[in-house]
Amino acid sequence: MRILVIEDQAKTAKFLKKGLGEAGLVVDVAGDGLKGLHLAQELEFDLVILDVMLPSLDGWQVLTRLRQAGRQAPVLFLTARDAVHERVRGFELGADDYLVKPFAFSELLARVRSLLRRTAPPRPQECLKIADLEIDLLRQRATRAGQRLELTTKEFLLLSLLARHTGEVLSRTLIAEAVWDMNFDSDTNVVDVNVRRLRSKADDPFPLKLIRTVRGAGYVLEAGQ
Amino acid sequence: MSWKPASSVVPGSRLWGTLAFRLTAWFALAGLFLVFCATASLYLVLLTELERSTDLFLTDKLHVLRTLLRERPNDWDALREEVELESAARRYEHFYIRLLDERNTPLLTTPGMAEQLDLAHFASRTQSRPERAIPMWGRHGQAFRVTSAAAPVGSPPTQTDTIQIAIDVSHGEELLAHYRLWFWCVLLGTFAIFPLAGYQIARRGIRPVEEVAATARRISSNNLRERILPEGYPFELASLAGTFNDMLDRLEESFNRISRFSADIAHDLRTPVNNIRGEAEVALARARTIDEYRDTLESCLEEAVRLSELIGNLLFLARAESPLAHLNRERVDVAELLGGVREYYEGSAADGGISLSTTAGAEPVIAELDRTLVQRAVGNLVSNAVAHTPPGGSVVLAAKAKGATICIEVSDTGVGIPPEALPRVFDRFFRVDASRSQASGGTGLGLAIVQGIMLLHGGNAEIASRPGQGTRVTLRMPVSGSG
Repeated sequence: MRILVIEDQAKTAKFLKKGLGEAGLVVDVAGDGLKGLHLAQELEFDLVILDVMLPSLDGWQVLTRLRQAGRQAPVLFLTARDAVHERVRGFELGADDYLVKPFAFSELLARVRSLLRRTAPPRPQECLKIADLEIDLLRQRATRAGQRLELTTKEFLLLSLLARHTGEVLSRTLIAEAVWDMNFDSDTNVVDVNVRRLRSKADDPFPLKLIRTVRGAGYVLEAGQ
Repeated sequence: MSWKPASSVVPGSRLWGTLAFRLTAWFALAGLFLVFCATASLYLVLLTELERSTDLFLTDKLHVLRTLLRERPNDWDALREEVELESAARRYEHFYIRLLDERNTPLLTTPGMAEQLDLAHFASRTQSRPERAIPMWGRHGQAFRVTSAAAPVGSPPTQTDTIQIAIDVSHGEELLAHYRLWFWCVLLGTFAIFPLAGYQIARRGIRPVEEVAATARRISSNNLRERILPEGYPFELASLAGTFNDMLDRLEESFNRISRFSADIAHDLRTPVNNIRGEAEVALARARTIDEYRDTLESCLEEAVRLSELIGNLLFLARAESPLAHLNRERVDVAELLGGVREYYEGSAADGGISLSTTAGAEPVIAELDRTLVQRAVGNLVSNAVAHTPPGGSVVLAAKAKGATICIEVSDTGVGIPPEALPRVFDRFFRVDASRSQASGGTGLGLAIVQGIMLLHGGNAEIASRPGQGTRVTLRMPVSGSG
């Protein structure tokens, strides 16, 4: 998977390249709108991450010209402004997603993955298996080492969310949104409380700990380090 | 009369635009009109009174002559005395009498009458209107009033004579001319004096307004404390000054609020930035283990997240106050929304030993709201309630519809808020107990955001609290955006 990052802030571009590279993606960086547009037209990219405020050509113009040139790669906008009309404008021009600075890198990674998956064929899943954890999505049942876990509906949702994204750090905001449909990012320590309760049922009684806290970022479920 | 064009004589609309000029113009116009009416009516009264006294005199003379002719038809001496001598004895207001017989032959004439008057003209003018006094000009340009009448002679009358009487009224005319001159002088004087006096009066009346304006000009953000002294002004302007001062009070209050707000922002931004900077500096001061670096980085990340949340909240508040703020309204089942919020906070409540429940009315409460924003408002309230309720307490969410308004209530049995702090709890960065809230990670913006969301929905938030017994926050908003 190859990604183009068009971003004039050197620091931002650097950490994006590093983080996305470490997540297994190939990243090219362009420092201004014109160079970015050239690169996007020369090469095939699976995703373009585009800053709105750019020298030479701004993000809107880059997007417009890209679509005019027939490039259909998904575009994720990054911006420091988040007025609703700007968001709407981005989507009207053909952007696929939108992220407001400052953002959590885990959040960006999750969105990038979801955009890349959109282009790849979805695979139907009925069962998830991570180490000794088994989740039956159809019957809404989870077991560890063959032992049935007594979970509430929300706890089951939380566990299966983490399991579906095994190895990915999920931010508290994303978790609150996916499990409780809470679309605001205040008071996210409520998520901590709920994860702790899930852990007391799904992790604490077992020697192998699956759910790990990533300080300042969120939670990840993985078989081992 | 040429005072009327006062307004059209004005060179431009600029002058007409000044209040002093308008007042002066109206004052002068009204004054001139009144003086004109007064003098004109006095003149008319004088004129009619003069004519009436002349006419009475003529009637009187006629009566005397008729009586003489009837009672003593052949007493020529008496008649002559009456016609010739009496008139000659007068210095002013000479009158002339002529007696004619049936065949219009003059019998007796006051000497000099023919010199003064065109007698043929006299006869022809008075013939059609007997016994009525009419004005006539003499041969030398003097004004006369003349009359003629038939006088029966003898008793019983056997024949008819004609009496012609003319009286010189030029003296009265002089008097009237004198009056007319005075009249014009008075009008001219009025025309000169009224605008000047009016202007002075207008200036005097407007001066307090100018003083108020001058004070207003002096006031800027640096001296918002300055006020207009309400003493010494007439009642209307005192109330204007009072209104103005009230406005300044409100301005000063919101200005202070904003300054306080800026200071609070600076303080709240400074703390996490300071932590990031200090931790990074200390970490870099010498070589450390990987675990130590990781710990530092993680701590920095936490501070950065705190900063991001703070910035996000501040931006949200700024946008909520913008007139361009946009709501994403949709049909929302409020009871269901409350249920969702309850589920989210259930874990935290259970951890704190608090019962968290929703009570729903008999009917579903449906409204057009921005789901995310209302969720956020209720979430903030529940979060506060759970944080400030001791174990064993309870937090209850309730929704009901009252006509076109829906009501969401979040009540707890928590520690409550002291009465003196209640009016300020919706202020940004206000914390009832600064040290404790800081430690629990609150930004002090939660309730400000709740209020911002209610304002966006055209509703309001109210808080009632008793220390030691609990707090109840009520959110009220219209069922739909259009209403």
